[in-house]
Amino acid sequence: MNYTKQIQEIAAKLFAEGKIDVFVGYRMNGFDDNQVPVLITGPQEVSRLVFTDKSVFNLVNYLKTDHTRRKRVGLVVKGCDSRSLNLMLTESQVKRENLYVVGICCEGVVDDAGRKMQNCTECMVPDAVVSDELLGTPSNIGLQPYAVNPDIAVLAEKPLPERAAYFEEVFENCIRCNACRHSCPLCYCAKCCIDQETATLYNGANTTSGAFHALMTWSLHLAGRCVDCRNCEKACPSHLPLHLLHKQNESVIYENFQEHLAGVIPGDRGAFYKYSMQDPDDFIM
Amino acid sequence: MARVGVFVCFCGANIADYVDVPQVVEEVKRIREVKFATEYKYMCSDPGQGMIRDAIVQHKLTSIVVAACSPRMHEKTFRKALSDAGMNPYLLEVANIREHSSWVHQKDKKAATSKAMDLCRMAVAKSIANEQLHEISVPVTKRALVIGGGIAGIQAALDIADARIPVVLVERSPSIGGKMAQLDETFPTLDCAQCILTPKMVDVASHPYIELIPYSEVIELQGFVGNYKVKIRKKASYVNFKTCTGCGACWQKCPVKVPNEYNMGIDKRKAIYTPFPQAVPNKPVIDAEHCTMLLKGKCGICAKVCEKGSIDYTMQDEIIEREIGAVVVATGYDMWDPAPYEEYGVGRFKDIITSLEFERMVSANGPTNGVPVRPSDGKVPKNVVFIKCVGSRDEAKGIEYCSKICCMYTTKHTILLHHKVHDSHAYVFYMDIRAAGKGYEEFVKKAQVDTGTTYLRGRVSKIYRKGDKLMVRGEDAQIGQVVEVEADLVVLATAVSAPKDNPELARMLGISYDKYGYLSEAHPKLRPVETAKAGIFLAGCTQAPKDIPETVSQASACAAKVCGLFAGDTMKKDPMVSTISNEYCSGCQNCVKVCPYGAIVTDEVPIGYGSKELRTVAKINEGVCQGCGSCVAICRSTAITLAGFTDPQIINEIVSI
Repeated sequence: MNYTKQIQEIAAKLFAEGKIDVFVGYRMNGFDDNQVPVLITGPQEVSRLVFTDKSVFNLVNYLKTDHTRRKRVGLVVKGCDSRSLNLMLTESQVKRENLYVVGICCEGVVDDAGRKMQNCTECMVPDAVVSDELLGTPSNIGLQPYAVNPDIAVLAEKPLPERAAYFEEVFENCIRCNACRHSCPLCYCAKCCIDQETATLYNGANTTSGAFHALMTWSLHLAGRCVDCRNCEKACPSHLPLHLLHKQNESVIYENFQEHLAGVIPGDRGAFYKYSMQDPDDFIM
Repeated sequence: MARVGVFVCFCGANIADYVDVPQVVEEVKRIREVKFATEYKYMCSDPGQGMIRDAIVQHKLTSIVVAACSPRMHEKTFRKALSDAGMNPYLLEVANIREHSSWVHQKDKKAATSKAMDLCRMAVAKSIANEQLHEISVPVTKRALVIGGGIAGIQAALDIADARIPVVLVERSPSIGGKMAQLDETFPTLDCAQCILTPKMVDVASHPYIELIPYSEVIELQGFVGNYKVKIRKKASYVNFKTCTGCGACWQKCPVKVPNEYNMGIDKRKAIYTPFPQAVPNKPVIDAEHCTMLLKGKCGICAKVCEKGSIDYTMQDEIIEREIGAVVVATGYDMWDPAPYEEYGVGRFKDIITSLEFERMVSANGPTNGVPVRPSDGKVPKNVVFIKCVGSRDEAKGIEYCSKICCMYTTKHTILLHHKVHDSHAYVFYMDIRAAGKGYEEFVKKAQVDTGTTYLRGRVSKIYRKGDKLMVRGEDAQIGQVVEVEADLVVLATAVSAPKDNPELARMLGISYDKYGYLSEAHPKLRPVETAKAGIFLAGCTQAPKDIPETVSQASACAAKVCGLFAGDTMKKDPMVSTISNEYCSGCQNCVKVCPYGAIVTDEVPIGYGSKELRTVAKINEGVCQGCGSCVAICRSTAITLAGFTDPQIINEIVSI
């Protein structure tokens, strides 16, 4: 998978036609073969853009910054990224007319060691669902049968106290740097509920229980919205297995809310934000 | 520091029998902020309220907890007691130790007492964080909507309009009149239904305060009591009512024949039709499902014969919007389909008919000119068997409840049969004869003597054919034997059932319905015409099966409620509404989507102090907000606060147990 040339051409064309102010893409990080996101503001920088299977980050996150807000932006999205973009559009965080979206029919990206990322092996929506221009051949795989994440499956086998002990260890390692939050395209609140001065509901301390509060609240606020791009995991300096929280939510929602997958349908706000007659109500006495 | 007063109620024996009230009082006295706690037999009575008023003054209390029944019952009563003592009424907190404790834990007094203590502790903790709130005034739209143009809707509309309040009456079918227009005579006086109903129908059409919208359906209701917005879909009638004179040339020439709903499908009507000659409005509509011009583009006869040029095949459905302040729901009932009674041969034997079919046959304007005939061969029946409780009081095949009107209308049918076919004989299979009502028992007794009807107490087990007769086999429980009756015609007194689209209507209106589909009243005894949603009232069979006198009474009661609601120019409203902090709102608009009242809109605010750049945030219309809290729960930024249920109040409650 290498669309470097096409993306450079598209970006040059967009700048030449004056259609965009900023282009968000990937560049080489300058010291190994990994890539980092880049915001370029003119045609002279177009040659820095690359796109290969090392283009791991979700660039939709950069629509939250002052460099892109209220500007005309071109950006590259893979399947998962496009789903989060869909949610950003639905939740009125960005305006579609301000965007030029280069969609990728993604074949999966790889980690530092060159192995295909776990979320890519499980991916059900590889082609971008929002785009002005689509690169690559659509896989047209449609929706595949849902496979429960193997890590979740392993954890589910363990007895409850063992699971609790495992997560205690996970939360203990959290340093409350909030990188997960900042790296998530869907964490765009003006002020996070956990940080509010009046938020008596939440434990803000930098302790295991504080981390538990913060991460559980965070994962529930993303339940039915998380698109499994794993930006949070890539950003976490403590290497916490954050996908466990999200994948568990995802599988429960997929099972109970008519096979709901976040961000696939434009205008869909997610399982928790709409009422349907088919919603399960067996928990109501 | 807060000074809380706690008042624990015995509720006679309702609470005191299962909760140790003195122990609860002792327990709450141990809470630091509680400066006064006491108990009384009936807290809601005048002496009970007096205790609260006195204690407020004497002990300088800053908030009050009443541990008694559900706040739905007496919150208003106690708030008023607080006001009377010069205290802000919203400093009251009710701990529901009756429905939530004593009534549900009757087998375990210790546990019930312990739970009552928890509930009191929570209420005390919450009340400490209570804030003074002030009622909101909202303007009232003085116009009522009546849904359904049967006798209930007609009566309600006339009574409201007579008080010079404008009414919008929406009827689904082309004419008002409902089921009553299909009846021949009415029990117990044998008045002709048409003679007493049609003048009222004409009154509706000519009343200056009634806007009649026939052939229409309510599709959306938004807003709140006093300020609803309704959307009505007016179905395309393909006839311009303004120019149509109702001359009838069109339906005389129309070549398409369709089973006539008004006559229960016994005869045919045309594709362009008025339901019955006395219809109001007396203008025809085209049945789009059967008209060949609309279906295939061939025919057009009605347009040719119409001298006024009133036929318009291009007419489209139209959406009408009205602002209204109150709603009367009068959607009536359906007749229960007796198909599950396979042993009676329903559907196999033509000579088994339902009571409404019989009613149409004996009606003077019916398909057989008032003479009952056998559908199979058109002969006049001599022996007629009436079977009661078909579907009613039958848990196995039908519905558990008694349909209330069948005993009386079957009695009426025996009389009508006797009048129309003098040498006939009627048999009635019954379970009980329920004739509670003014003049009802006398009516039944007289009918039995006059008509010589044979009453057989017992259920019918089977009906089979013998020649051209039907053999009805059943039990006569009074002699303890199986009997067989040879019948020319069998009439099934089918149950009254809720309109099948009531649940959908209820969801659209935001009111509740029971397991049968009847709409639920707010209180079965003390608030029988109100629903749990303010400003929506129920009239007639849509609430439960009932006869015409009861329906009319209920409709008039609804009218009185509507007039009472519109007595002032503004309405006071609870201040328990949400507010949004612009600072925290991220503008995702999830709250806009979840708000069931349409109370949230978007607003543009500067991105920072003095900035000219704007961003979108949500804004709550406090007049529309009903304080349900859906937006508070959905808001990830916790930007929304609900007065009376703030985070500190809720956290205090949680922490206290």
